[in-house]
Amino acid sequence: MDFYFGMLQIVGLHTILGLSAYIILLTGQVSMAQAGFMSIGAYIAGMLTVLAEMHLIPAMLIGGVAAALVACIVGFPALRVKGLMLVVATIAFGEFIRIFWFNFDYQISRGGVKLGPEGGEGFKQIRFFPENGWSTLDVAIFIWVVAGAVIAAVWWMDRSRAGKVLRAVGEDDLAAQSAGINLTVVKVSAFTAGGFIAGLGGSVYAHYTTHIEHLNFDIVMATFAIIYPILGGLSNVFGTILAVIFVQVFLLEVLRPLGDLRNLLFGAMIIVVMNFMPHGLFSAQVASRIKGVFSGRKEGANA
Amino acid sequence: MIVKRFYLFAGAAAVALTGVSGTALAQKFDREVHIAGFGAKSGVVRSFGVNTEGMMRAAADKINAGGGIKLGDGKMGKVVVTFYDDRCRAEEGISVIRRIASGKFVVAVGPTCSNVAEPLFGILQKTVDDKSDSGLQFPIFTDTAIKGGLAKISAWAFRNVPNETEMYKNLFAWVKKKWPNLKTVYGGVEEDFAHSRFTWYKVMDKQAKAAGFKVLGRAKWLLADTNFTTQVRAMKKAKADIISISSHPFTLCGLLKEMRRQRVKYKVLIGLTSSSSMETLQGCARQAKGIIIPTSFAPVTAAAKEASAGGAKYKASADLHSAAAWENMMVLKQVMESKGVMAKAGTIQADRRKIRDGLAALKNTQGLIGSIKRHKSGEATKPFVYVHAQGKEWKILHDPNK
Amino acid sequence: MDYVQAIVDGLLFGAVYALIGIGFTLIFGVMNKINMAYAAASFAGAYVSLGIAQVVGLSGDFGLPPFVMFLVSAVAGGVFAYIVYLICFRFTPDHYELASLMATIGTLLMVDEMVVQATNGEPQNYPEVLQGIFDNPMLEFSEEFAIRGDLLTLFIVAVIATLGLLWVLFRTKLGLATRAVAQQRMAAQLCGIRVDRTNATTFVIAGVLGGLAGAMIGAVVGTLLQSLVVIPLTIKGLIVTVIGGLGSIPGAIVGGLMVGAFENVFLAIRGVTERDMYVMLLLFVFLAFRPQGLFGRVAVRD
Repeated sequence: MDFYFGMLQIVGLHTILGLSAYIILLTGQVSMAQAGFMSIGAYIAGMLTVLAEMHLIPAMLIGGVAAALVACIVGFPALRVKGLMLVVATIAFGEFIRIFWFNFDYQISRGGVKLGPEGGEGFKQIRFFPENGWSTLDVAIFIWVVAGAVIAAVWWMDRSRAGKVLRAVGEDDLAAQSAGINLTVVKVSAFTAGGFIAGLGGSVYAHYTTHIEHLNFDIVMATFAIIYPILGGLSNVFGTILAVIFVQVFLLEVLRPLGDLRNLLFGAMIIVVMNFMPHGLFSAQVASRIKGVFSGRKEGANA
Repeated sequence: MIVKRFYLFAGAAAVALTGVSGTALAQKFDREVHIAGFGAKSGVVRSFGVNTEGMMRAAADKINAGGGIKLGDGKMGKVVVTFYDDRCRAEEGISVIRRIASGKFVVAVGPTCSNVAEPLFGILQKTVDDKSDSGLQFPIFTDTAIKGGLAKISAWAFRNVPNETEMYKNLFAWVKKKWPNLKTVYGGVEEDFAHSRFTWYKVMDKQAKAAGFKVLGRAKWLLADTNFTTQVRAMKKAKADIISISSHPFTLCGLLKEMRRQRVKYKVLIGLTSSSSMETLQGCARQAKGIIIPTSFAPVTAAAKEASAGGAKYKASADLHSAAAWENMMVLKQVMESKGVMAKAGTIQADRRKIRDGLAALKNTQGLIGSIKRHKSGEATKPFVYVHAQGKEWKILHDPNK
Repeated sequence: MDYVQAIVDGLLFGAVYALIGIGFTLIFGVMNKINMAYAAASFAGAYVSLGIAQVVGLSGDFGLPPFVMFLVSAVAGGVFAYIVYLICFRFTPDHYELASLMATIGTLLMVDEMVVQATNGEPQNYPEVLQGIFDNPMLEFSEEFAIRGDLLTLFIVAVIATLGLLWVLFRTKLGLATRAVAQQRMAAQLCGIRVDRTNATTFVIAGVLGGLAGAMIGAVVGTLLQSLVVIPLTIKGLIVTVIGGLGSIPGAIVGGLMVGAFENVFLAIRGVTERDMYVMLLLFVFLAFRPQGLFGRVAVRD
């Protein structure tokens, strides 16, 4: 059973990560810095629970806010660049944060044991969950409470006016601007919100793995963050969740018995999906079709 | 028509397969004992996983050929090995170990990477019988991940990896005795890899100083670096007698090639334990000629030769890491037999506990090149020899036990 | 003197970044899209040349001149680039860049894994053929100052390749079509230029160049290890492209040399752990004060 709870934890964590990129992608910006924002949440929340012996929940919120602040600062210069330039800029920024942690040393001694991040050696013994006796199921539930809150918030935002504004900017920012939308506010808010969500995800991630180091937050992790919403399609949050399940459960776990072939299939499946379903597994057409089925049934039931 | 025929064929094949395996099992064994292996089989470190898997399978063949494992009720168990790829990523490692722990496996051998081992041991229960600690209760017996001191993270983690501190302490002392006029050491370290970094700062640097050498400085580079001109220039200027490099084969080769280009002069060249593999010779046999490395494996005894030959059947090369996987399998057989593991569906958790207790109680085990001392912390002190690169193979330079 | 040496070393190694940057900038210039699989496919070309050399026994003492290996690598690079074009660009929607971006990332991961499977993830010894051109691998001017001969060769070849590329772009019909598509796609189509074919040709040209670069990088480094070096080189290549100005070939060259020198100076001053942070900072400075890059057009076409 533990394995399935573990799987639930991973899916929950990656859903948070995917949604952090989703909200930025809605404004038409590709952020490859999500792993960087995540690392800020991870290191700060880890230091708060281990060094300051804080409870996880406030630590998590502080980690999220710190990541949001950094993301907000990145959001401003990001306004100046678009498309490829933004991709490169955010890759560079994500790497910048990663290398920062690689050089970051802050250790205190407690009971003869040194605690805290130690540069290239990483940050070990972030054992909030096991020390407080949380079982795998407890942790899975906790992760899903966080993930559920994030999903609900993003879903609600998506359906409200804010979502329409984000999408308008994403589709044509010039048109949106001439319709009176303040591009600076919208794009920077999207970055800030995405940073906050990634920071939350990172805080949970640090406690989930108990040991973090700069290499956890490399460009592969950043790529994962944007793979989910793009594979899932940007029509709504469920596409992202579906893509996380597709990648983490199907491609990585169900195909595990395939051994070596699995690793080749991973890249190949992305290529295939992008060729045959470029707008994602759960694109607007699919979504409306499903909606049609459900509303059709409802009418039938009423009649 | 074709489809129908396919079904018939598949059905027949399935019947035949189950029939064959059923009878084979019935002939010699009563039950199966499942041991999981896990490590990296993709990316840069793929060869490590391939070697570990091959050596585990070869060891299982040897155990099964000898009748299998004698279980607690006197029945015989057949060893079955299943290997999982964790891609050297912490998250996948955790997922893999959870998958293993929720299956029929009584123990796992792995992982390859220290950066997977560290978080992995972190999710295990820290002390046995601590009810307040909800960590995973599953024994892991590591063969490869070598970064110092990891097993103390959990009482369920054991390692059969060489103690690098011992190795380099002895090596530097030996070098001092053999070439008394050598005075200075210059280091080289791959900064962003857990193992190589640890070995320079906490092992080589300290042990060189302890042996009375003067450490003049160190060159630093990153795992993915391809240009070493600036670092090597500083190394050349230092004019050290001994150059001691803590890095994995890829950058080791790049660095050695640059040293050759700039004609860096040195008397003795020392390398990292993990570099004493075929990869180094594959990448730069000519430049690596003469590099001295302490290693806990070399085909010097009959047992070691047998293990090497066994692994070769699975295209695995026996080196200090993968040979430990073979040793672990043999130790596990011994522990399971002495503790009376049952290998029944209902006894899995009890079996795991027995194996953990058995491993914890061991004082000595028989390794491939000599006796291995086991410590309370779950670590081991393994015998070792010094090898040096000569052409396309590693030759024994000195055996400190003799 | 130390810093002069560091700058010269860096400038020469910067030729490697420049070669990769040219590939990105060429494809961006014509299609306005990123090909993340570019460096991966280029190195795969070098692996093919290595495989052939091992089969026919070239890699030992060379029975044949080294340029054969470069040629094989260049051809293989061209073929791979065409395949990348087919699976990532030809059939993905033109107006939705995310699809091709994702597909090329998928290709990058797949190509890396294919090489890992083929080589067991072990580093492969690549013949240092460029060293053979000079008697001494180092051109030593004094005790204090020396230049790596093979890097100098790489540098010269990079410059020649660029001149060749510029000749193709500005003196041939093919180049005219390419530039037309790059400037105004719709108008080019109306003039009877087959956009798909022009795109494919651009990919092949970039791929040939990439294959050549892959083999030369292999020869300079002396070892090939795809899964380790491709992603860092891709990142550096992209940074070079932006600093040089998107779509500008001379920009990619100057940008590459600049990044090479810059990072080596900071390596000498601040050490390797902080080196790349300064490269990123250089990029941010450009993005803030000169977003069009060194040679880019001010108005980037949308």
